[in-house]
Amino acid sequence: MTRKHILAPGFFHGTLGRVITWTVITWTVIAAPLLHGQQSSPTESEVKSAYLYNFGKFVEWPAKATSAGEFFPICALGDDSFGSTLETIIAGESINGKKVLVKRVARPQDAVSCRILFISSSEQNQLKEILAALDNTSVLTVSDMPQFTRRGGMIQFVVEANKVRFEVNLTSAERAGLTLSSQLLKVAINVKRSAQSGG
Amino acid sequence: MADLTMFWSRDSSITKRLTRMNMLVSGAALLISCAAFVTYDLVSFREAMVHNLSIQAQIAGSNSVSALLFDDPQTAVSTLSALKAAPNIVSAGIYTPESRPFAMYWRDGAGQSLALPPIPSGQMEAHWFKEDQLVLVRKIVFQGKPSGSVFIRSDLQEMSHRLKRYAGIAAMVLFASLIAALLVASVFQRAVAEPIVHLAELAGIVSRDKDYSVRATSTGNRDEPDILIHAFNEMLGQIQEREGALQQVHRELEQRVEARTAQLAAANKELELRNREVEHATKLKSKFLASMSHELRTPLNAIVGFSDLLAEGVPGELNPKQKRFVNHIKQGSAHLLQLINDILDLSKIEAGQLELHCEHFHMKDALPEVLSTIRPLAMAKNIQVEHMLEIDRPAYADRVRFKQILYNLLSNAVKFTPQDGRISIACAEDEDFVSISVTDTGIGIRAEDQTVVFEEFRQVEGGKDSTHEGTGLGLAITKRLVEQQGGKLSLVSELGKGSRFSFTLPAGAKTTTKTSATDAVSATAPHRAAAAEGRKPLVLIVDDEAPARELLASYLDPEYRTAMAESGAEAVRRAQQLQPDAITLDVLMPGSSGFETLAALRKNPETANIPIIVVSIVDQKQVGFALGAADYLIKPIRKSVLLETIRKHVPYQYDDDAAILLVDDDPKTLELLEETLRSAGYETQSVQSGKRALEVLSSKLVSAVLLDLLMPGMDGFEVIRHVRQDAALKQLPIFVMTGKSLTPEESDLLARETQALLLKNGSWQQQLVAEVERVIRGRKLARSAGQS
Repeated sequence: MTRKHILAPGFFHGTLGRVITWTVITWTVIAAPLLHGQQSSPTESEVKSAYLYNFGKFVEWPAKATSAGEFFPICALGDDSFGSTLETIIAGESINGKKVLVKRVARPQDAVSCRILFISSSEQNQLKEILAALDNTSVLTVSDMPQFTRRGGMIQFVVEANKVRFEVNLTSAERAGLTLSSQLLKVAINVKRSAQSGG
Repeated sequence: MADLTMFWSRDSSITKRLTRMNMLVSGAALLISCAAFVTYDLVSFREAMVHNLSIQAQIAGSNSVSALLFDDPQTAVSTLSALKAAPNIVSAGIYTPESRPFAMYWRDGAGQSLALPPIPSGQMEAHWFKEDQLVLVRKIVFQGKPSGSVFIRSDLQEMSHRLKRYAGIAAMVLFASLIAALLVASVFQRAVAEPIVHLAELAGIVSRDKDYSVRATSTGNRDEPDILIHAFNEMLGQIQEREGALQQVHRELEQRVEARTAQLAAANKELELRNREVEHATKLKSKFLASMSHELRTPLNAIVGFSDLLAEGVPGELNPKQKRFVNHIKQGSAHLLQLINDILDLSKIEAGQLELHCEHFHMKDALPEVLSTIRPLAMAKNIQVEHMLEIDRPAYADRVRFKQILYNLLSNAVKFTPQDGRISIACAEDEDFVSISVTDTGIGIRAEDQTVVFEEFRQVEGGKDSTHEGTGLGLAITKRLVEQQGGKLSLVSELGKGSRFSFTLPAGAKTTTKTSATDAVSATAPHRAAAAEGRKPLVLIVDDEAPARELLASYLDPEYRTAMAESGAEAVRRAQQLQPDAITLDVLMPGSSGFETLAALRKNPETANIPIIVVSIVDQKQVGFALGAADYLIKPIRKSVLLETIRKHVPYQYDDDAAILLVDDDPKTLELLEETLRSAGYETQSVQSGKRALEVLSSKLVSAVLLDLLMPGMDGFEVIRHVRQDAALKQLPIFVMTGKSLTPEESDLLARETQALLLKNGSWQQQLVAEVERVIRGRKLARSAGQS
């Protein structure tokens, strides 16, 4: 509407005027529904993807981990349900000046260089081995499998009242040399201090 | 404004003013500085407030980042609830990057979530004061990414508290300062205002008490008030000095005035004495004059009167020699009388005792009286006297004196004009004067003598052949008489050719046409025909001297009956007894004076209506008229004057048996009228002109007049006017007979003034006889009824 006011009435008789008019009409018709779709409540995997990325912002890695590599790799192990969502959400983002990168790993050994590793529920039975493999590394382990924090995992997604929340095992994280921001802990629904290791 | 004017009201003293000025200045300074201070403080407080709120917003924002990122509003709410510690914060809110409200905090329980105000692009935060609140909005940026916004609202209570506190402090400071200023002012006042107040008080004392000995005390320090005090003291000293000098002068002046006053009083006393002496002398002189005139005139009166009677042959015919002697006596006594009169006149003029009785009169009316006395003199020398006096303007002067002036000039002219000469009298009118000139063909007067002739007792030497008799007073008196009446007498003359004397008199009003019929005819009036003896009017002559009484009686003899009284008392008695028609009264009589008698006669109702004519040597007309005299004649008098005067006052006695006067210019009409009236038994006399008619009327008694209106010369209207103006003829019946057609005015006049109007149209004769019968018989009846 404002444009109409800006343009002189005679302007619409020219070729350029007509092109602009048509562009405006096309944009309104096609783009508006898309925008509306984006604003509707996000899916669980979308929320989880975003949280994975956000965790990176509230965790401090030891210096040896930060200095290695120029990327900030976020990895997924097992049959995750993200599909391409993770890539879509994270694409183009960076943390502490390092470009975020999504890696799918098949073995725990491949995840050593990852900053954050999402362990799918499908790997529930191999969790002990996975966590053992990552011992002495500074990888933040995240999963949505039950009992994850209790079993030595660091952050576990919990769905509560249709909302995605998370629990933290602070001892596991500290053992890996990671410092979790108080801000993060504040948001967590449960922060465990002591847990069985390697169990 | 009203307060301000009161504050600066002019009557307040300088100390009050100084104090007020002090208070005002310090109060104003304090107020301004307080205001500046408070303003500055408030501005910086506001800045600090914004800064604080911004920090709080930053803290709240950064503490809420994780809650925002992990979509945990509850955590955000608990974070925000930490703001409880800041009681000024009314509400706060966290908003998602999409500006949706995320978490809210309200100080006073729950409230409505407010829409996030927009932040201008490119800015981290924005704030504004709105409705007693400070509102601040701040973006939350985490790791370089906008993560949401914080919105905080704070009330301004702290600021208003602060403001109140400041106002209180300012008021206290102001109050304290003003008290301090008051104290300081009182100190200054003592230093500055006190000398001025002191000076003002002193000035008040000086102006109020006129005490110039007071002095102001010096302050000691050489400041302006001190200079003022010194100058003031110096000034007081000078004034004191001058005051002293002034008082000295004043004292001297007073002494001088006293001395002069005493001198003046002495001089006044002396003057008064002199005045009294002069008054006394004047009185003596007047008395002398009066007695002289009396003593001289009384014998002379007898000489003149009786020689006149002798000359007329009243006591019997004289032989030629006797006649000559009598004439010598007459001439000598006339000259003597003239001389006495002149001397008395002159003395009177010089004594300021000349009485003038001014009236309006026409020259031509007054002239004949003079001419009648001059003509015989002129005729004796065959001198022709001409006069041209045809002017309308009357003179306003003393008629008697006018005649005297004219007589003097004419007799002079006759005296100095040789045989067969000519004298002419001319008259002219000016703006305010009438002038009369008398020109003669006489010997004339030398130029060097022309002023001398007006001096007393000077006669010009006319030559060896001319021995002119005269008193040498005539012209001197004439000149003074003219001048006393406001006129001027002048002379033009050439030796050997003649002289012309001219004099002026004040002119009267133009419209005045007062002409007296008696004057017009009296000059020629001879004796009135004797009426029937029984009806002759009676005149009572009052005089103590027998010759005077006899003379008056002889003057009155043919026309009037006379009775005598020798004194005032007798006069009153006889007047009461006889009821005369008139009284002549002398003034100077032994016993009661004439004036007393006059008053007594006037007071008595039985004699009050009798006309009294004073005949005396004493010229006190004003007294006489004041006492009720009908007229006043001065001895010696001429017969004609006496008769004329008495006629004026004694009503005409109509003789019904006398003739009827017929006046008509047509002889045939006259003849017819004569026939008609004679056959009806009336006497008639016929005249053919108005003038003749008046002559007859003045000399003869008639019973009525039958008058024609249209006549050549004097017409009937004029005759009527003359007749009615003569007091003696007022009641004379007039019948008018005319063929003239009359205007309404003429008809009115005739109806008023005449007894009957007859028209000449055939049958007037019977009417005439009837009218005459009616009037004359009617009057006879009325008289007989009145007498019974």
